[in-house]
Amino acid sequence: MKRVRNYREETKAYWAMVLPGLLIYLVVMAFPIILSAVLSVSDYSGGKMFRGEPWGYNGFQAYISLFKDPWFWNALKNNMYIVLVSVFGQLPLGFIFAYFIYAKLVKAPNFWQGILYVPNIISVIVVGLLWQTIFSPHGPIAEVMNTINRNQFQSQLKALFASSGGYAPTKEIAAKILQMVGPTGEAMFSDPVPELAELLASYNGQPFQAVLDGLTNLFAPRWTPTFLSQNNVAMLPILFVILWMYTGMYMVLFLANMQKIDSQIIEAARIDGASEGQVMRHIILPSLSGTIVNSAILAISGSLSSFSLVYSMTGGGPSRVTEILAIYMYNKAFLGRPNFPLANAISLIMVLISFLLIVLTKVAEKRFGGREE
Amino acid sequence: MENRKHQASVKKTTSFAGRFFAYLIMVIFAIMTVYPIFWLIMNSFKTTREFQLNQIGFPKDFTLSNYVEAWKMGDFGLLFPNSLIYTGGATIGIIFFSLLAGFALGKLHSRATKPIYGSFMIGILLTTQTLMIPLFLEVNMLGIYNTRFAVLLVYIGSGLPLGIYLATEYIRSIPTALIESARIDGAGFFTIFKRIIVPMSKPVSTTIAILNISNIWNEFAIINILVSKTELKSLPLGIYKFSGSLSTDYGKQFAALTIGMVPMLVFYIIFRKQITKGVAAGAIKG
Repeated sequence: MKRVRNYREETKAYWAMVLPGLLIYLVVMAFPIILSAVLSVSDYSGGKMFRGEPWGYNGFQAYISLFKDPWFWNALKNNMYIVLVSVFGQLPLGFIFAYFIYAKLVKAPNFWQGILYVPNIISVIVVGLLWQTIFSPHGPIAEVMNTINRNQFQSQLKALFASSGGYAPTKEIAAKILQMVGPTGEAMFSDPVPELAELLASYNGQPFQAVLDGLTNLFAPRWTPTFLSQNNVAMLPILFVILWMYTGMYMVLFLANMQKIDSQIIEAARIDGASEGQVMRHIILPSLSGTIVNSAILAISGSLSSFSLVYSMTGGGPSRVTEILAIYMYNKAFLGRPNFPLANAISLIMVLISFLLIVLTKVAEKRFGGREE
Repeated sequence: MENRKHQASVKKTTSFAGRFFAYLIMVIFAIMTVYPIFWLIMNSFKTTREFQLNQIGFPKDFTLSNYVEAWKMGDFGLLFPNSLIYTGGATIGIIFFSLLAGFALGKLHSRATKPIYGSFMIGILLTTQTLMIPLFLEVNMLGIYNTRFAVLLVYIGSGLPLGIYLATEYIRSIPTALIESARIDGAGFFTIFKRIIVPMSKPVSTTIAILNISNIWNEFAIINILVSKTELKSLPLGIYKFSGSLSTDYGKQFAALTIGMVPMLVFYIIFRKQITKGVAAGAIKG
């Protein structure tokens, strides 16, 4: 066999086949990394890179101002939240769902897999805008909450009328209603009690339900998602949507790898009297350790690429609290006066995090016996 | 099939309470998954007025006007073909260059294989999104900002690392004897590639396609910085337009979102099996 091999022809063919892919890869991945490293220590401020305005070395100025900027740390913290919800939310949930199917606790494995994977296939932009509407003050959650509030308020009103011997448009009733509603009701009037009594009197001759509806429209507390604009919880909807979107993917991954476990080992363990928990701890978990570690790493690298979701859901708002690193970087480059050195510094930091993850994968592979095939 | 026999005993040992609990959790999560999507499609057939009065119920006066208007306002007539070009072109490109390089890396002999293969492996965990800004500057520097070429180039480049990994591993498993005997018959390497490697790599090509099609179709962050002309934009960019000033025009927004979602849902329904298999094969590789 060796005789027929023509080494020169083979070498030529080798490079002709490898080079196109390698060149594209270098242009799209390698060169931008070098460019970001160069620009992050420069004073480049846009315009033509060559034969344009001259630019040069500017030291580590960009990094210094980056580390001094509290918004950078805020963005990094938000990235960490995404990592945490992935590692401690998606992974365990995905694992549990996969186990339910694997252990045949639920029937129809394809049905559940089919349904829970659906959000992965939809554009993140669609998902982001959809949930933005769902969480908005005009959305369905608000509608449900408002309906509950209204019904509650009406029954409170009815109880109030019943306890005060029926409804009559008097000042006493008006005072009682105002007392029930609290300060928000009083703030609607300049002289609350007589004005409300007058308002009640204006309903004279109309059915009782009209009075109830009128008062409900006026006083029933409206649900507003104020919690979304508070700094400490503004990330919650985003984290929820990330959980909603990707849990199905981890379920598919875990299930595929569980199904590779030799079922005879489990069978043998059972015959020897192992309990469900022991099988889980000594057989299923150890054989999935590689998958679990790799999924965690995948989750971290995923947090670096959630730009589109956050961009479409909140745009980093309200007032920047939901910015993640990628959004922070984007805004530094495209919002207002571009700060390219700073934006490139962030880019490089994210690349370094990715490199760290790659090293971690290699270490994990050695430690946990490598990838499952 | 042996699996089934063994797992039957697993089932026996689980209690009724355990199964009830499992079903309960699965059903809740499944409803949470499907309902928002269903809700979106349902509301895309309501007028904005009706939506404001009735968000939860079925549409009372069913209307298609949202779709007509959203299609026009979002320039979807332009963007839809663009999305097809980007998705089709980049997917074919990724498969072609992956198989080509995979053949060389997997079967031909060179001392360069190790470092080249290793450098591609690094790219798998590197998301192009982190390189958004330098990519934008590079594309401007090369004078290819606002071109389809740039979009295809970047998409192909981002898909190559995983594609080459899968292709190389797969082609390695093709019996070398096949290639050797073709060599004896006087076939050149490119003929072997065309006649043997490409036809035999159908399974891995399918996996690569599956892993890339939905990603590219749905991609937003990168194309957002590569093009600004409407006639070059893809669907996700058009849909995003409905978030700003149009965001309170719910009827049209929902129609736009549905237009963006349905092609991938159809794709998913047709290729569900291959997609879940492909994800399991391609997602966790370091």
